[in-house]
Amino acid sequence: MRDRAATRALVLGLLALPFGVLAPFAIWSGIHSLRRIRASDGELRGTSSAGAGLIAGLVGLSAFLIGTSYWLLAS
Amino acid sequence: MIGRVLITLLVVVVALISYPGALLVSLATRLTPAPNAPAGREGALPWLHVAHPADGRPYIADDQGRIVMLHGAIPAGLIDFWTGPDQSQPNVPPLYPIDPTEYDGGQCPANSSLSRYPPFCRADVEAMATLGFNSIRLPISWSLLEPARGHFSQTYIARVAQVIEWAKSAQMYVIIDMHQNGYSRYVGPGDDVNLSYLSGAPRWATITDGFPSRVFLGQRELNPAVFEAASNFWYDRAGIQDEYIAAVALIAQRFKDESVVAGYSIFNEPWPGWNLPPGFEDLLLFPFYRRVIDAITGVRDGTPCWSGFFMPAPCGYRDLGVRDQRHLIFLDTGLLREVTDFPTHLGLPVSSYPNLVLALHTYTHEYTFDKLVGQTPDQATYPWGGYDQSYVFADREARAMDAALFVAEVGAPPQWDYLMTANQLTEQDRQRIGFAFWTWKENGGKDSWGIFNPPGSPPESSGCLRAARERLLARVFPKASGDRNLRYSYDPGTGGFALAATGQTGAPATMVYIPPEVRGEVSTGGGVHGSIATNTDGSRVVTALPTGGPFRVSVAPQSLALTGC
Repeated sequence: MRDRAATRALVLGLLALPFGVLAPFAIWSGIHSLRRIRASDGELRGTSSAGAGLIAGLVGLSAFLIGTSYWLLAS
Repeated sequence: MIGRVLITLLVVVVALISYPGALLVSLATRLTPAPNAPAGREGALPWLHVAHPADGRPYIADDQGRIVMLHGAIPAGLIDFWTGPDQSQPNVPPLYPIDPTEYDGGQCPANSSLSRYPPFCRADVEAMATLGFNSIRLPISWSLLEPARGHFSQTYIARVAQVIEWAKSAQMYVIIDMHQNGYSRYVGPGDDVNLSYLSGAPRWATITDGFPSRVFLGQRELNPAVFEAASNFWYDRAGIQDEYIAAVALIAQRFKDESVVAGYSIFNEPWPGWNLPPGFEDLLLFPFYRRVIDAITGVRDGTPCWSGFFMPAPCGYRDLGVRDQRHLIFLDTGLLREVTDFPTHLGLPVSSYPNLVLALHTYTHEYTFDKLVGQTPDQATYPWGGYDQSYVFADREARAMDAALFVAEVGAPPQWDYLMTANQLTEQDRQRIGFAFWTWKENGGKDSWGIFNPPGSPPESSGCLRAARERLLARVFPKASGDRNLRYSYDPGTGGFALAATGQTGAPATMVYIPPEVRGEVSTGGGVHGSIATNTDGSRVVTALPTGGPFRVSVAPQSLALTGC
């Protein structure tokens, strides 16, 4: 069975790339889903989606932080 | 396994075309060496460029490295606003001739009340110079430049060139402004739509996809057809953005060797359409600016990409062969910044091309939140930082983008001049920023925004000069100074002026312009040798040559000799 949080993490992660404010939600969903999948002893699937969502969230957050930091430092 | 690869690929592609990719390309422009401007012909006026001090905001400078203040107005006579008595006929040709021969020898077509604006003629340029203006922001319309796809109007380009020749005679710079308001008049008529407020794209580049043309809340941009047409432009639907870039390149090619042209304003008051800030600015607008810069200057900041349909943020543009690296490029902020008076995006670097100018439109209390909720300027509760707010943030935006700063539009209803215009001009002096005043002349009633009263009877192009505006706009100011950190202030109530600067012996002179309206005695002090020249129109120019250390130039208060009504 597929973990619904994995799909949510992927969607939020993809959206976090253009909309950085969604990144924390993608990261939280990705971590939460990976934990559930790991704890399910193979009953739940979706590791790829959850992992991708987590990574996309981290990239989105990094871009958001780097952009904001640049603005604060360079201005 | 395939699913894993597809998901990875999806994340990578979305990352590359959105903020992570845009950020990488933007930051890379800061690491890319600026191109060396090729030596070109000397011009009728000194070539302008943007100087980049290590410890301050970039500024517009002349060939001696002096900070240059551009003061000017915006004539609307070359804009393709709809005119006429019947809005069900939206495709009417321009009311005033675009053939320059109709304006030769001081001729001026008769003004018409069917147009919101009078024609722009040679006498107007001379009148601008009399007010002490040293620049014109000249709005032009894409719809007249490229009326049919791929077919450019040489007549219209000749008309632009004619105005530039007039400006050359008056020793004034011209900023060529690719103007638009509400995307295009070809979005069509509809409920509460006033086509005479719309201009910009030609009919063939106005793709509304059947969305109705209908204005909401009395704001011309709040129109579904305008939303859709603007969005289609940003998404390069049917390659219309490519056509626009080609149109800008054509203008740049035509005036490549003309120093009277200070530069190009790429897109006036960009409206996001269906897109939201900050993504609109960071992922669509400023990447579009980068592509135009790539195309006309030959710098290669964006990544190689396709063209002809949607180009994501990292995409650059091919060199269109113009290689114009001597003109300023003015970048308007997104239109919503006029509502917020603070930045609506991250302010990332745009290009390695050094001559960039962030172009601000300052309409505090006219388009800001307070006005939208019905407050009057004298009782407004926003902006919380007052008139200062927009400028303080703009200073930071410009530094982050490594661009100079210029107020490309400022204006107000005449009855609020004592508050709005006066405060805006004071802020600009404080921040050492030049301005272009909207608008030069306007028909209509007493509330029209022109510097002159509307004409008493057609076909006059205007009534008399508004004395309140003459008082504010014909001001003492440093046209150029060797000290970029100079301080100056002008009191339009008394005509008093004070400037404090510093300069080493042999440093370039500070040139202070004093309009004929200001009659006070000039004095200089400190490390400076001052001389005063009086022009035939009664204006004076103080040349302050530093002899070492701090110096000052002042004009004593004395009642103004206003000529207006």
